[in-house]
Amino acid sequence: MRFLRHPVAQYVAAGVLMLVVIAGALSWLSGRAATTEARTEARRTTELLGRTVVQPAVQRGLVQLDAGAIDRFNRRVRDALRTADVVRVKLWRSDGTVVYSDQSELIGQQFALGAAERAVLEGAPTEAEISDLARRENRNERDQGGLLEVYTAIESPEGDPLLFEAYYSLRGVDDRRTALLRAFRPITIAGLLVFLAATTPLLALLTRRLELAAAEREQLLLLAAEASDAERRRIARDLHDGVVQDLAATAFSLSAAARDAEAPDSWRARLESAGASLRDSLRALRSLLVEIHPPDLRAEGLVAALEDLVASAPASGVRATVSAADVDGLTGRDAALIWRVAQEAVRNCLRHAAATRLEITVAREGDGHVLTVRDDGRGFDPQRTTTPDHFGLRGLESLARDGDAALTVRSAPGAGTLIQLRVSS
Amino acid sequence: MTTRRLTAAALGASLLLPLTSWAPAVASGGDDDRVIRTGSCTAGASWKLKVKTDDGQLEVEGQVDSNINGQSWRWRIRHNGTVSARGIGVTQPPSGSFSVERRIVDLAGVDHVVFRARHLGSDQVCRGVIHFG
Repeated sequence: MRFLRHPVAQYVAAGVLMLVVIAGALSWLSGRAATTEARTEARRTTELLGRTVVQPAVQRGLVQLDAGAIDRFNRRVRDALRTADVVRVKLWRSDGTVVYSDQSELIGQQFALGAAERAVLEGAPTEAEISDLARRENRNERDQGGLLEVYTAIESPEGDPLLFEAYYSLRGVDDRRTALLRAFRPITIAGLLVFLAATTPLLALLTRRLELAAAEREQLLLLAAEASDAERRRIARDLHDGVVQDLAATAFSLSAAARDAEAPDSWRARLESAGASLRDSLRALRSLLVEIHPPDLRAEGLVAALEDLVASAPASGVRATVSAADVDGLTGRDAALIWRVAQEAVRNCLRHAAATRLEITVAREGDGHVLTVRDDGRGFDPQRTTTPDHFGLRGLESLARDGDAALTVRSAPGAGTLIQLRVSS
Repeated sequence: MTTRRLTAAALGASLLLPLTSWAPAVASGGDDDRVIRTGSCTAGASWKLKVKTDDGQLEVEGQVDSNINGQSWRWRIRHNGTVSARGIGVTQPPSGSFSVERRIVDLAGVDHVVFRARHLGSDQVCRGVIHFG
C-alpha cells in the first residue's frame, strides 16, 4: 500500500480511473447520440411516410371505420410500410379510436390519447418518444424489446385530423451506438493511453527532482538543527555548570543559615523562605534546561528526566506524579522516544488542559513498554485536531510513527486526556 | 397475427332474388382457417368463393366459370356491407373462367364477405356469401 503513496503511482491510478470514466462517458454519449439520431431519422421517415404513403391512401369512409375503406387502405399501405423498418403502425382518430393498425384486432378499439399525441393532433410538430409498453394499446409490442414511437398528423378526405403513429425497433439504436463507440473509442482511449505513457516518465522525473530537492533541504535542516542543538547544549551546559551550581550552593547556604541557632528567629524564617524560593527557582531552571536541551537519555536516567519534565508543574497548579517500573530493558532509542512523547504530552497538558492532576507512568507490558500520560483537564475532541493548538498532537503521531511505536490518544471534552505510547523492544 | 377459429360454418348462399333463379350453394373445405363455397349463377355459369386467413389478414378469392372465353363480368367484393374491391374480369381459356383475389382486413367479430359478379352482356348474376369468424 505504501507504493500507492508515491505520486507517480497515484498519477497512473488517476489516469486509469480517468480512462474508465471517459469510457463510461463515451458509452453514454454514444447512446445519447444514437438515440437522438434514431429519433431524428424516425421522425423524418414517419413524416415522409405520412405525407407520401398514408395520407394519399386514406379514402372516404375510413374515419367511420368502413370495412371496405379499411381494406383498400390496408392494401395500399401495408407492404409500403413494411419496407421502411416500421414494426407497427396505428392510425388514430382524435377521439382515441384506432381506425387502422396492421394489428387488426386493435381496429375500432378506443384508448385514451396521451398529451403528446393530442398536441400533435392539434398542430404540434412530429413527436418521437420511447414507447411505454405498459400501456394497453401497446400490449402486442411487449416482446419487441424497446420501441420508439413517432406521431405525425395527417388529414382525412372528410377533413378530420388523424394521427399516424409508427413504431421502430430500438435494436437499431443499439447497433448505432455500438457503431459510434467502435468509431470513437479507439481514438479516445488510445489517445489517453499515449498521453499517460508520455507524461508518466516526465512526472517521474519531476518527482525525482523534487525528492532530491527535499532530501537536500532536509539535510540542510538537519545541519541547522544540529548547529542549534550544539548551541543549546553549550548554553545548557554553561547554565548547569555555572548558574545552577551557584544557585544550588546559595540555596544550601541559606538553608544552613536558617538552621543557625544563633540567628534571630525572624531572620531564620526569612532565610528559610528565601531558600525555599531559591529551590523552586532552581527546579524551574532545571526544567527549562531540559526543555532547552534534552538529556542524553538512557533507561537508568529516564525517571529523573521525567521528573525534571514535571518539575514546573506545581507552579501551574498541577499535581504531577511520575512512576516507572521495570524499565531496565529499555534501549536508549526507546527511552528517548518515551521522553520526547512525554515532553510533548506534558507541554500540552500544562499549556492547554487546565488540569489539576497529571500522572506519568512507564511500565513493562509483554515484550515492550508502555508510557501513559493521563490528566484530568478539559480534554478535547481528537477528531478535530486542525487547530494550531493540536499541532503538538500531530507531532506526537509523527514521532511515534518514525519510532515504529503505537500511539493512542483518548480524550473528550470535559473528560481529561489519556496518551499512551507502546514501544516494542 | 391473430389465428382465428371459425366458429360459424359458412353460410353459403345462393339467395333468391326477384326474377332470377339460383341454385343452392355447396360448402367444401371448412377447416379452421379456410372456407370455400361454390354455387350456380342465374344462367348456367358457376361461382366459387374462398376465404382463408393469411398473415393476419383474410385472403378472398372469387371465381366465375362460364365455359365461354372472352366474356366480360363486372365483379365486386363487399366486406361487412361496404365495397372492399371491384373490377371487371374476362373469362380466359381453356376453361372460360376468371378469378380475382384480394386481401381484406381480419376485423374483430364475424367478417361478412360477399362476392358478386354480373355478366355485362346478359345480366347473368353470380353471388356468394361467407360469414367468416
